[in-house]
Order: sequence, then C-alpha cells, then structure tokens
Amino acid sequence: MAGELEGSKSLSGLLSGLAQEAFHGHQGITEELLRSQLYPEVSLEEFRPFLAKMRGILKSIASADMDFNQLEAFLTAQTKKQGGITSDQAAVISKFWKSHKTKIRESLMNQSRWDSGLRGLSWRIDGKSQSRHSAQIHTPVAIMELEIGKSGQNQDQFRLWIKRTALCLKDKQASNLKGKYSLVFNLHNSGAPGWHSR
Amino acid sequence: IREDRFRCPPDDAKPVAAAGQLIDFQWKLGIAMSADSCKSLKSPCVTVALKVTDGLGNVTCKSFEMTISQFQNFHSQFKEMASVL
Repeated sequence: MAGELEGSKSLSGLLSGLAQEAFHGHQGITEELLRSQLYPEVSLEEFRPFLAKMRGILKSIASADMDFNQLEAFLTAQTKKQGGITSDQAAVISKFWKSHKTKIRESLMNQSRWDSGLRGLSWRIDGKSQSRHSAQIHTPVAIMELEIGKSGQNQDQFRLWIKRTALCLKDKQASNLKGKYSLVFNLHNSGAPGWHSR
Repeated sequence: IREDRFRCPPDDAKPVAAAGQLIDFQWKLGIAMSADSCKSLKSPCVTVALKVTDGLGNVTCKSFEMTISQFQNFHSQFKEMASVL
C-alpha cells in the first residue's frame, strides 16, 4: 500500500486535481474522488496525510512563485527530509510546475482582483451631417460600448460618446501610463531593500 | 410644440443612442505584492475611472480594473478611434 504512494505514476494526475481545486476554483474534487481514481489500492487513512503533503508542497511552490533554481533547491530539501518525497516524485512535481506555472499564476492573480473588470469593448464612429439648425455640420463622435463586471455576476453595460478633442487628450494620458509602468517595474526588479519578503 | 424643449447648440452633435458623454478619465497603476492566496503575487493592475454625464447634469462614475495587456488593448482601441476621427 505504501509502495503505491511512493510511485510517481499517479502523482501527475493528483497534482492536476489539486491544482484544479486549490487554484482554479473547481468544486467537487474531494479527497475520496482523488483516492478512488488515482490510488484505489490505498486506504483513506494512509492517503490523507500523503495528499496533505503534496498539497502543501504545491501551495508553497505557487505561493512563492518559485523560479527553476528555487524549485530545484526546494524539492531537493524535500527529498532529504524525514517523511519527505522521493527523487522520482520530485521530478514529477518539477515537470508539473514547469508546464502549469503560467496558468496557476493567472488564476492566483484573478483571485486577488476583487473589483469589476472590463468584459467587453466595442466602438463606432458616427458622423452627423445635418441638423434642424444647420444645413451642414460634420462633427464626428466616437461611441463606445463597455461591459464591466465580475465573473459569474450580472454585467453592467453602458455607452458613452467622446468628441474628437477629448479623445486626443485621453490618448495622451494613456501614453503616459505606458512609460510609468516600466518605471515602477524596474524599481521592483532592482532589488531595493525591504521590497520583498514582508 | 414648444421651441425651448428642443433647444440645443447648433453644432452640437449628440448621438441619438442612449449614451452619456465621457467628461473625465482617470487611471491608477498598482502592483498587488502579496495576498493570502499567494505570498509573492507581484501582479500589476490598472484601475480606470470614467466620469460620464447624461446631459442633464447627472454624473456617474464607472470604475474597473484591467491587466496590463488588457489596458494596452484598451489604449490601442482609443488610438484607432482617434485615427478615424
């Protein structure tokens, strides 16, 4: 029975199930489901601590957003621990993180976004050519239709129109933002003291 | 029909569809450093606030968040509109 757990065959499937439940919000992935599907020969009493250990390892890796050096060091330490993991299992975990890292990071970032997001955007340009007071006018306006909301909830759809002069100004403001983003990110990557590990 | 009910400036091209006028656009850039679900999050996020008036003096504010790539798409849509206008 314990031999089953030490094998790495079903571990990949287990990690997928754990990721679905812990990061991607998939309901209904119970420990009994995982056990019966992946480790049917193992009793629930034996399976539970094993599952907890793997869940803990996966969460630590995701939480720290480990790069490959950190991952190797972390997994090596786990193999040396009493009641840790085998080197085969370490290899499976490493392979799993490398191929699923981006998706898991995306889910974690989405989880921490609590305000409405931009769900849809479309626009058209209207050109008015005549009005009651004036035979010929040509004042084009842009009309935008935006849909904002949180996933799983009702979306708020609204329209707004913008005159040409206003649109030029907004474009200038938006350009400033692109520069600002690079500046902020560089400050972070420069390893300024006290910036990490709080 | 009373004349003043339809009073509007001669060259004011208000679209017929029920749309408010964008009168202000504000943005802020933040980076979520850490969260309970992820200690090392480092997730940049742009929050945009649009002030829209309905022409009767009522102003509403709509705000929403975007990832950097969503914001870049948002910005390029504005640029495209500006180029057509």
